[in-house]
Amino acid sequence: MPQCRRPVSCHRHARAAGVAARVVPRVVTLVLLAAGTSAQAADGPQWTFGGFGTLGAVHSSMKDADYAATPLSPGSAGHTRDWAFDVDSRLGAQLAVQLDKRWSGVVQVVSDRTVVDGFKPHVEWANIKYQATADLSLRVGRIAAPMFLAADYRKASFALPWVRPPVELYSTMPITNSDGVDATYRWRTGTARHSTQVYVGGTSVPLTAEYSAHAHMAGVNHSVVIGALTLGGSFAQARLKIPGAGELFEVLEQFGPQGQALSERYDVRSTRTTLLSGGFTYDPGNWFVTGEMGRVNTRSMLGDQTGAYLSGGYRFGSLTPYATLSRVRANMAVRVDGLDVTHLPPPAAALGGLANNVLNDFLREVPTQDAANVGLRWDAAPNYAVKLQFDVVRPRDGSSGSLVNVQPGFRSGHAFRVVSASVDFVF
Amino acid sequence: MFKTTLAAGLAVFALSAADAAGATELVVIVSARTPVTALRGDQVAGIFLGEGTAFPEGGEAVPVDQGIGSPLRDEFYGKVANRSPALMKAYWTKMIFTGRGQPPREAPSSAAVRRLVADNPGMVGYIERTALDPTVRPVLVLK
Repeated sequence: MPQCRRPVSCHRHARAAGVAARVVPRVVTLVLLAAGTSAQAADGPQWTFGGFGTLGAVHSSMKDADYAATPLSPGSAGHTRDWAFDVDSRLGAQLAVQLDKRWSGVVQVVSDRTVVDGFKPHVEWANIKYQATADLSLRVGRIAAPMFLAADYRKASFALPWVRPPVELYSTMPITNSDGVDATYRWRTGTARHSTQVYVGGTSVPLTAEYSAHAHMAGVNHSVVIGALTLGGSFAQARLKIPGAGELFEVLEQFGPQGQALSERYDVRSTRTTLLSGGFTYDPGNWFVTGEMGRVNTRSMLGDQTGAYLSGGYRFGSLTPYATLSRVRANMAVRVDGLDVTHLPPPAAALGGLANNVLNDFLREVPTQDAANVGLRWDAAPNYAVKLQFDVVRPRDGSSGSLVNVQPGFRSGHAFRVVSASVDFVF
Repeated sequence: MFKTTLAAGLAVFALSAADAAGATELVVIVSARTPVTALRGDQVAGIFLGEGTAFPEGGEAVPVDQGIGSPLRDEFYGKVANRSPALMKAYWTKMIFTGRGQPPREAPSSAAVRRLVADNPGMVGYIERTALDPTVRPVLVLK
C-alpha cells in the first residue's frame, strides 16, 4: 500500500506504454555489420552523420510543483529551481547509412532528462529500412512512434515553431518510440500526396526506480499534403501493463462488490489504451496556422483525456512571432468518493480511507489544464534558431495539470507563468 | 491613416521583392532520353521534398539540387514549395531525424546539374532557362 504513494508523477509516466528493449542492440549491430560488409560494393555505402540539440532555460512562477514538457522528461522549473535547464535541453546524434537503392540503416542516440537516469544517453531509435518499391518502405528495429502530427520530430526542436510542442496535447502520450516493424506507403489522388503508415511494436518505459510500464501496441497514421495544407490522423491501441502497481487494487478487492467495482474501473495492471488524434497545418510560406486534437483513454486511473491546441504565426524575414491556445480535459471524474467506509469497523475503515486517498492522488494527476502562449522564433543563422516563449498555464477542477513533483501546498485553479528561452541547433 | 500607409509600403515592398525574384526564369528538367514530357508544380514539389519518389507514369525520380545558398535554389523552393531557406532547413531537420528521408544530392552549377540530369534518365533538376540545351527536356517552367 505505502508503495503506491510513490512520487506523484509516476502515474502519468504510466500513460506511456511499453515492451522489449532487447532487440535494439542487435539492430545496432546489424546496421553496423551490414554497413561494414557492403563497404566493398562498387558504389559504396553513403554515410551521413548529423545531430540536433537544444539549450533551454525555463522559469516558472508556480513554486508548489515543477513544470515539465512531458512526464517522461520531468523538468525542475518552479519548485526545485528558479531557472531550470533540464526542461527542454537535449542533444541528439544520428548515424545513417545508405547501402544501396533498397537498404539503409540508422541509429539515433539522444541525451535528455529522463525519469531515472538523469541525462544518460539512450538509443532513441535504431532501425533497418528496406525500400521495396519507390512508394513502399518497410522498417524493423526501434522506430519513431508518430502518434501526433509532430510526435516523431518533437525532440528536434529546430523543426518546431515553438520552444516545445504544446504540453496540453503532447504530454498525454509521451512515448516517442517503439520496437517493432512498420510499413509506409505513399500514394496520390489528384494533386494530393498521401502517406499511410502501419506499425506494430512494443516498448518499456521506466516510471520510477521501482516501476516500469510495458506496452504492446499497433497503430495506423495517415497524412495528406494538398498544396500548403497538411492533414494528419492517427489511431493506436496498446495493451499497457504496470506490473507491481497492483497493491492498491488488491486492497480494494478486499472490500466486497463496491471494492471490486472500483478495482475493475481503475486497475492499471493490464489495461487497453486507445489513442485517436487528428490535426492540420496550413503553411503558405509567410504565415502558418496549425491545430490538433487527440484523445488518450487508458480505461484506468491513468486517465482518459482529450487535449487540443490551435497555434499561428507570421514570418517577418528571420523573425516568426507566434501565439498558441491549448487545453486538456479529463473525460472522467478526477475526484471520487471511493469506498463507503461509514459502516465498517475502525481498522477496515482506516484501510479503506487510505485506499480512497491513494486513488484520488492518482486521479488528481489526470490533467485538466488551460494554457496560452506568445513567443518569438528568430532564425539567427542557417543552423541556429533562438526562441523566447511566455506561457500562462492554469490547472483546473482539482487537477494538478501537467505539473510534476507536486507539493502538499499545491492548489488547483491558480494560473502561473512560464518563461522559456532556448537555442536550437542542427549539425 | 497609418494603416493605409503601412499597407501601401508593404505592397511596394512585396512588388519589388517579386520583381527581384522574377529576374530569372527557372525550368525543371529531365534527361532528353526520359519519356516524361511534363510535370505539375505539386509533382515536382513531391519529388524534391522526398514525399513521392516516382514519376506520375511510373519509374523512380531522383532529384538533384543546386548548391546550398545558391539564389536559384532559394527561388526554386520559394516557388514550388512556398518555403524560405530557413523553412527548408527546418523541413529537412524533420525528415532526417525521423528517418523519413535525406535531402537531394547537390551539383555546384546549372551546367553541372544539366550534365548530371542528361546522363541519368531518372534524374530531375532545375536550371535557368538560358542554360537549356538539347541534352535535357524542360518539363515545367517556373515564372
